[in-house]
Amino acid sequence: MKADQGLMSVSSAAELIRQGKYLSIAGDEAALRQLPSGHWIGGTIPYFMAADGGTVSREQVFVTEVSGFAAPPELRFYDQGSLPQICRNAPENGYSILIIPAFSAIHASFARNAPNFEEMYMKPLIGWIAGVHLDDLSTVTPKVVLGSTGEFSADHAVVMDVALPPEKFAQIDIVNLFRPGTGDRITFADTGFNAADCQINGQPGNLADYLLANNSDTRLPLVADYSGAMINVSIKSIEREARRVEFYAPVFPGIEYRIAAPLTDYLEAFRAALPQVEADISFSCNCILNFLYSDLAGKRTGHVTGPMTFGEIGYQLLNQTLVYLTITE
Amino acid sequence: MKPEDLLREALDIYAPWQIVRMRNDLGKGQIDIWVAQQAPKTGWFFNARPNVEQGNEQIWRHINIGNARCIVHATPPSGTAGDNLQWFGEADQPFTHGLSRKIASMFMEGFSFPAVCSTLDISVSDLWKFKHRLDSGKSGLSGKTARAGSATPQAESAIPEANDPVWEKLLDGTISIDIRILSLKLLLTKLREQFSVITDSEVRILKAHEMQRYFVRHEKLLGHELAQLARF
Repeated sequence: MKADQGLMSVSSAAELIRQGKYLSIAGDEAALRQLPSGHWIGGTIPYFMAADGGTVSREQVFVTEVSGFAAPPELRFYDQGSLPQICRNAPENGYSILIIPAFSAIHASFARNAPNFEEMYMKPLIGWIAGVHLDDLSTVTPKVVLGSTGEFSADHAVVMDVALPPEKFAQIDIVNLFRPGTGDRITFADTGFNAADCQINGQPGNLADYLLANNSDTRLPLVADYSGAMINVSIKSIEREARRVEFYAPVFPGIEYRIAAPLTDYLEAFRAALPQVEADISFSCNCILNFLYSDLAGKRTGHVTGPMTFGEIGYQLLNQTLVYLTITE
Repeated sequence: MKPEDLLREALDIYAPWQIVRMRNDLGKGQIDIWVAQQAPKTGWFFNARPNVEQGNEQIWRHINIGNARCIVHATPPSGTAGDNLQWFGEADQPFTHGLSRKIASMFMEGFSFPAVCSTLDISVSDLWKFKHRLDSGKSGLSGKTARAGSATPQAESAIPEANDPVWEKLLDGTISIDIRILSLKLLLTKLREQFSVITDSEVRILKAHEMQRYFVRHEKLLGHELAQLARF
């Protein structure tokens, strides 16, 4: 089963909505506001990997059609208090698409607490973090949309729960080009979006001092090996005066991180690593940092398309990672 | 047997401990009891003068009395004297040992959070607090006299039963397997991190049950992983 998806005009997306299709839509806020009410959820972002290559568009929207379900998908907002119930509320056989606005309290809460949500990892959860055009960072707030009511929100998450028939099952996987380098082992005592004190090879240290002293390339994330899954924490900034490092996702205690090994040819590595399952990819998204650091505008990374986002959700919050969903029988 | 003796027995309160006070007007559908050690030759327990322990009184939810919540008030005895008392609880835990064991058994049987909350009439926040302390190794379940929850046999399944040692070996890192499924990679990492700080044997069993429950749920996807487990 393959869901129809692609970058299209607002009028084309509106026509799909009017046909009663169930859709996940990414686009600039102004574009999304032109869409009629219907069976869709959405989030703001103007960056896409389209069939023709990396694209920045405020006029077009990226639409993923959801099909093959056993019952009509359920669409709803979650607030910070109810979000921990998301997996429990998900269908017993199916998956959930989750979109969360960047920089919101619910974004921070999800990043910190998702691994401990009830039923987490038991039911497939995929999604992304809504963002804005980088030129608008200081003026516009990322938002999500509940298409059934037309309501936009900067502090709720929006979810589409999709129940599948018994013979089908959903599976989520990731493509992460980064591997832990051969450098020092870094651990943290607390969960957090920033860190100062840490342990470096078991010795107390300061992460900001360490990165500066080693002239580290901050485009390279911290990488941890989760039983074979490479999970990134991307570096947002080094606050020299505060001797603190800010991240795009939290670091966790008990997890050992290393700075990623450098990539010689990011684009080629990306193409080589893309999954060979085109016919089965029902949903995917990739990270805006991959878009920026690899200068992907106008370049094709392969057959996997979708929004380029401010964070990816493959069960928990991910950084600099391509996430995709397949449905198999 | 007198009714008060039946109540004491139902709540697992035995000499030298006595119920020294009881109220039913502090909350709707709620019975509060105060437990203390008694001096010898005491009479009817509500009239007796307790031998009050030194220290601050603590409060825990205990096993329900019918449809009523049971709240135990007691001053912790010194040392580890309270560890084997079913009606007693750990500091900073919302539940008595007896209720904790009952909840753990329900988790092992596959009860969901809401089912546990509704069946026992406890709040989600208290249940989260309880589970967080177990997961972080700050609380345990061992040393109590109630039985552990039984494993549910998996008929016609290649999955080892929940009490099979393979699960603890997987969680403590004795066994390493190649994993192809993202959700299992993430879950195993989380459970191993928790397992590394949990010393209580009963909580470790609970974690093994969580791991096994994942395999039961996703058996169709886990042929590669189950084939490796079968070698151990």
